[in-house]
Amino acid sequence: MNSIVKLDTVSKIYRRGREEVQAIKNVSFEIFEGDQIAICGPSGSGKTTLLNLAGCMDHPTTGTISVEGKEVGQASESVLADIRSRTVGFVFQQFFLIPTLTVLENAALPLIFSNRVVPRDQVVSLLESVGLGHRLDHLPGQLSGGEMQRVAVARALINEPRLVLADEPTGNLDSRSAASVIELFDSLHSRGIAVVIVTHNPELAARCRKVVRIEDGTIAV
Amino acid sequence: MKLAKLAGNNLRRTPARSVLTAVSVLIATATLTVVLSVDRGYSKAVERDLVEKTGVHLYITKEGCPIEAAAVIAQGGLSPLYVEENLVDKVRAIPEVAAVLPFQLFTATTKDGSRTDIFMGITEEIRTIRPDWIITNGGWFSAENSVILGSQIAQIENVAPGDKLYSEKYDKEFVVSGILAQNWGQDDGTIFLPLKTAQKMIERKGKLSAIAIKLKDISQLQNVTLKLRGDLPKEYYVLGSKELSDGILGFFSATRVIMFVMVVVAFGVSVFGILNTMLMAVMERRREMAYLKCVGAKRRDILGLVTLESLILCSAGAIAGAGIGLALMPAADHLLRGLLIAYIPAGSITDPTLPLISLSILLTVAVGVLCALYPAWKAASIVPMEVLRNE
Repeated sequence: MNSIVKLDTVSKIYRRGREEVQAIKNVSFEIFEGDQIAICGPSGSGKTTLLNLAGCMDHPTTGTISVEGKEVGQASESVLADIRSRTVGFVFQQFFLIPTLTVLENAALPLIFSNRVVPRDQVVSLLESVGLGHRLDHLPGQLSGGEMQRVAVARALINEPRLVLADEPTGNLDSRSAASVIELFDSLHSRGIAVVIVTHNPELAARCRKVVRIEDGTIAV
Repeated sequence: MKLAKLAGNNLRRTPARSVLTAVSVLIATATLTVVLSVDRGYSKAVERDLVEKTGVHLYITKEGCPIEAAAVIAQGGLSPLYVEENLVDKVRAIPEVAAVLPFQLFTATTKDGSRTDIFMGITEEIRTIRPDWIITNGGWFSAENSVILGSQIAQIENVAPGDKLYSEKYDKEFVVSGILAQNWGQDDGTIFLPLKTAQKMIERKGKLSAIAIKLKDISQLQNVTLKLRGDLPKEYYVLGSKELSDGILGFFSATRVIMFVMVVVAFGVSVFGILNTMLMAVMERRREMAYLKCVGAKRRDILGLVTLESLILCSAGAIAGAGIGLALMPAADHLLRGLLIAYIPAGSITDPTLPLISLSILLTVAVGVLCALYPAWKAASIVPMEVLRNE
């Protein structure tokens, strides 16, 4: 299987005022094509930091990060933005939909920054594939939590990424909506997209092929 | 979807704030449009009146401070400066001179100070020298106590030729012999009377406020000026009409400073409004900006987005402001006419041109975009991971 992202003995230290916080300590972690990984662990253990480093949202303090075989750990912000635009899709707990844009416009938002031209039909068909074909012209305020998260998933997929990173995607949803989102992530995996999910949801973790436990910034064996 | 549409949508999210900011831009642009139009229009109108239209090429006045003299006259007093009438014949004798108008200017203020009438003692040569001075009703002075009224004063007094007019200050009764055509200038509010009568009323027999001269050939202006300066006693000024208009525009410079201070204040408020709005917009949307970076937005995209928001806001405000400035132009013209002391020209004192309106719009938009640079830079500097973790 082809490697998409590889973290090699990566550490990340933050500054919180005068205090230094070591969020990740010498972690090595690789994501391959077709992977379906759940990252679990207690709050503050470094799950989100690991996800963000894998998604090229920040530079590691030490260690190397390679994306599609290319070292990008200390790459410029512009290079990292390109990777985030083309290779990785993000889904967050809080959806981050723009309230004045319709479902269709929210889903197509990343195209502005990737300079890709995608026909409207293709965006519509993507939204239909996440079960929102009947909500195209609705505003986020008119949607349920589950529907908003499905818009966020469609938005993460619009640039056809090889990897989707999701941070607590069911954290803000009721059980019914959470179930529909879990099914959606299953379907992504079945379409060949690698999926890495940070979650506290045992049901979601159980459905992933691989579960990685993080404790105190290291991967627990 | 394009970045511009996203920027427009962002502005719609806080409509009240966006509208208020656009209104501050509108006020700044409207003020700038009016002030630039007045600045240009007044200069043009004065030059048109005194240089192009009157037919007066030279004035002879007495040395001294003309501002002080104008202030004294405006308050109903008599100017301490005067020209001896015996100079008129000397000037007439110059072969290059076509016509000479000796005149005496003074005012009469009512006891309660509520009204000041302007009197001008003239001779019939005014008709030769001032082609725009036309009697439309009645005729020339028929007696020593005849007056010809400007159209506005005739309307205020509600008089027609043959009617009587009384001056309380000078305890004198006049008979209206004619009424002038309206020329939207100083003449409209002036009471014209025979020169000799004027001199008698203010006890300045043989003395004049100034002498206006028309030449046969304008190319002789320099020669005649030099000749008069050489022949006349040193205490006299010989002014070309261009110099006179420049002098009047010099008086106008104080008004101009006040007008431009108004523009600066309006712009200051607008700059504060734009900066505040854009900073608030950026602070409130830090998580969203961080998310946009997560989906591939580069620094320049975020810079562009915030700058575009300001550009849209300022363009809308500036275009509307220029329109409102144009609509307010007649009111500004009317208001300023009431405030001007030095000289009120005939015709419009505003001159809004397309380049001038474009300049107002461009200047305001440029200021707005400059104001957005700091908030845009702050937004572009967001580190997504830090914002998403900490907020």
